[in-house]
Parts: sequence; structure tokens; C-alpha cells
Amino acid sequence: MDEEARDNGVPPVPGLDMGELLPRLDRGERILLLDVRNQEEYESWRVEPRRAVETIHVPYFDFIEDTDGSIAKVPKGREVVVLCAQGGSSELIVDMLGEAGIPSKNVKGGMIAYGMYLEPVKLKLAAAEASRYELWQVNRRGKGCLSYVIVSGGEAVLVDPSRHTPWYEGFVAERGARVVRVLDTHVHADHVSGAPALARKLGVPYFVAAGEGFELAQPVTPLADGERLQLGGARGVSIEMRVLSTPGHTPGSTSFLVDGSYLLTGDTLFVASVGRPDLGGHVVEWGRALFDTLKRKLADLPGETRILPAHYSGTAEISADGVVCGRLDELRRTVPEMQIATVDAFVEAVRGAVRDPPEAYAEVIKVNLGVPASEEQISEWELGKNQCAASARRAGGA
Amino acid sequence: MALKKLDVRGTKCPIPIVRAKKELDAMAPGDELEVTATDPGSVPDFQGWVKTAKHALLKTQRTEKDDTGKELYIHLLERK
Repeated sequence: MDEEARDNGVPPVPGLDMGELLPRLDRGERILLLDVRNQEEYESWRVEPRRAVETIHVPYFDFIEDTDGSIAKVPKGREVVVLCAQGGSSELIVDMLGEAGIPSKNVKGGMIAYGMYLEPVKLKLAAAEASRYELWQVNRRGKGCLSYVIVSGGEAVLVDPSRHTPWYEGFVAERGARVVRVLDTHVHADHVSGAPALARKLGVPYFVAAGEGFELAQPVTPLADGERLQLGGARGVSIEMRVLSTPGHTPGSTSFLVDGSYLLTGDTLFVASVGRPDLGGHVVEWGRALFDTLKRKLADLPGETRILPAHYSGTAEISADGVVCGRLDELRRTVPEMQIATVDAFVEAVRGAVRDPPEAYAEVIKVNLGVPASEEQISEWELGKNQCAASARRAGGA
Repeated sequence: MALKKLDVRGTKCPIPIVRAKKELDAMAPGDELEVTATDPGSVPDFQGWVKTAKHALLKTQRTEKDDTGKELYIHLLERK
């Protein structure tokens, strides 16, 4: 369809949502992905299903310049889905392929939709726990960000929600609960938090600890190290969340221990690495704090404590039941940075392993401190995957 | 040699390239087309497109800010 036809409201080409495509790719269905973005975007950020997906890359402008030659590159008789950055170019290509007798579907919203897509996965709790609460890990697949929804006795707490806030409201409402508190484990550097906006809209307390060197430009309800938050109450059902100050990745980093069993660590401890302490220009000071947190503070917790981080860096970190979760005793044995015995060696190791900071991280931190920015700007700053782990080689990505 | 200006502010891919190609195809060799876009993706897209484009040469790319401080991406093309 040409652009005039598009402007004149011609019926849209066949499309599918990210929520329909990803589960099918995860199951290993034989779909051919035609990626029509430019080389730079194609190389820097791809859809990562749980199983390998057959992909061909032909930029959309090649189709515009050499329509027949480009169409010839698309195999016939396959189920083809077309992906671009924002869903506009892929729509044009679906139309061109259709005219050439090759049926295909447009991935609606393109990589932007992938970056926003949220997949809730319910943790399998023991029977005694499951009668008291639900714990959901919400996986933002396109960014490798994990947020959490804890529901008990009709009340819900959100931890590290992403900026797609209506999704969280809808999800909690579906569980017959209401949000009573919104928490951030730290001032995020790689994505814009949805927590302050959610708390404001719902009129509930918001917590983040910025720590020294950061100036918060929005109201928070402070929580003290060791404080216990009660959740629930209806029908005698309740659980407790313990606040643990775990500085290092940022000076204010805080972890939350849910019902004594699940530790939401934010970017302090991941399942294959530890948080990077270099995003504030104080790698030695913050690195020492992180070592102290990992070696001393987390030493008090039992080995069977389940670690639930705020990020993962590759599908290898997702277990068979779909969650990113590790037992603390196992992570003490397997995470390389956890093996380091002295603080100096630890600081050297994390300093030596750091890569480029996340794109636009200084701007993202500012927004998360409460400095306003336009939706368009935020969207641009947020593109691409997170870079918050001290090392990413092991997990094959980020 | 003529210089023509094309304003594609507010549009997203594929519109900037679709419109630029349409203009260039109708121009005489040696004529220039200055495309003003707001989509940052237009920068690598124009670079990629001219690699195989029959009638387009990319002479320069520059950025400017408009009155509201919004970033503009300005692509100067030549009809070849």
C-alpha cells in the first residue's frame, strides 16, 4: 500500500501481537521471522525466544529499492512474520509480500512492543505458603527486567514495576486485590520505573532509597533497615516482608525478604553475577559496600533462601518452570564474584569486568529520581537491553 | 542545479524513505533533496538505503534543534 492509501484508512494488514508471537516462538513453532530493520538495530537488539528462531534479515529500504529482488529472498510456503522497529515498515513489507502472493503477518508495535511486553510467571510455592500468598515474577522479556507482585489477603505489593503501569493495575485487579504499597529496590539506571506514578495514582506509599549523592525530586515514605511490612489481613491471611538495606550497586539499594523465604535483591545479587557498582563514579567505595553486603549481610540468611533478582541477562538463566530464581547456597558456590575472599580482590574484579554503562543511564537515573521528561524521550532512552550486571559473558548477552 | 526541501517531521519509518525516493525519482540527475526528519532511526536508515539506491547519494547528515528544542535530523541527498 502506498502512503496515500495508508493515510486514507485502508484496512490494516494481517498482524499479531507480541503476546501471541512470543509464546509460539518459545514453544519452538516453525515460524520464519523476517526482520526488516537497518543493520545497526538488527545487530544491537533481537527478539530472544526460549528456543532458537529462524530469522532472515532484509532491511525494509531494500524492499523499497529492489522489491522483486528482496521478495525473492523470502522462502515460499513458510509461515512468515515481519518485524521492524516500531511496526510501520513491517506493515509495508507485509503488504508488498501479499501482493507477490506470499502471505505474512506484521508484528504489531515491532521492537517497541517487545521492549514493553510483560510476562507474568507464578512462583510455585509450598502448599502452606500458597494458602497465604501468591508471588509473581513479571518478566519484561525485551529488557531482561524482572518485577514482582506479591498478593496476600486481598492486598498487593509491587516491587520494581516497569513504566507500563496500566498492566500492573489490571493484573492486580484480576487477582481480586488492591495495591497497598509500591517499592523500588533502588534508583534504576537502565529503565524508567513505573513505581512513583503508580503510587501517586493509587494514593499508596512509595519507597525508594536513593542514598548519598542522589537528590530525590519526589516524595517517598522512608523505610528503616530491618523494618517489617505486613501484607494482607483479610480472613486472617497475612505475610511479612522484611526490609534489608543492601548497599553496593547503589548506596541506597534495598532488598525485601518475603515471608522469610524469597529475597528480592534488585541489582545486588543476580543468579549468574552481582550488581555493577560503577554507575555513580564511585566504583571503589560502592564496590566495598557491595562486598560487605554480599559477604556479611547476606551471610545471615539461610542457604535455602530463594534469590529473585531485578534482571537476568539471557534465556539460560530462566529455569524450566519459566522463572529466574536461585537458591542462596547455590549462588554462593556458583557466582564467581561470590567466591572472592577479600574486599580488594573483589573491587579489582568488578572494576575489571565492567562494560559500557546502559544507554542514557544518567538521564534515566534523573527521571527515576523524579525529574520530569517527555514520554518520547523516555521511550528513546529506554530502548535496548539492560547492562546492570557486573559481568555478562557467562549468561550470553546483555 | 535545483535544491528541493522535503519535510517529514512527525513521521516514522518507512515514510521518510518512501517519500524521499518518490521525490528523487522525479528529479533530474545532480539535483539535491534536503529531508528534515524527527525520527532518529532515519539516520541509519538513510545510510543503509543509499548503499543500494539507484537514484540516491547521501551527501551529508546533520542535526539541528527546532524552536521547541526538538532534535531534527537533516539528510542532504543528491539525485544520481
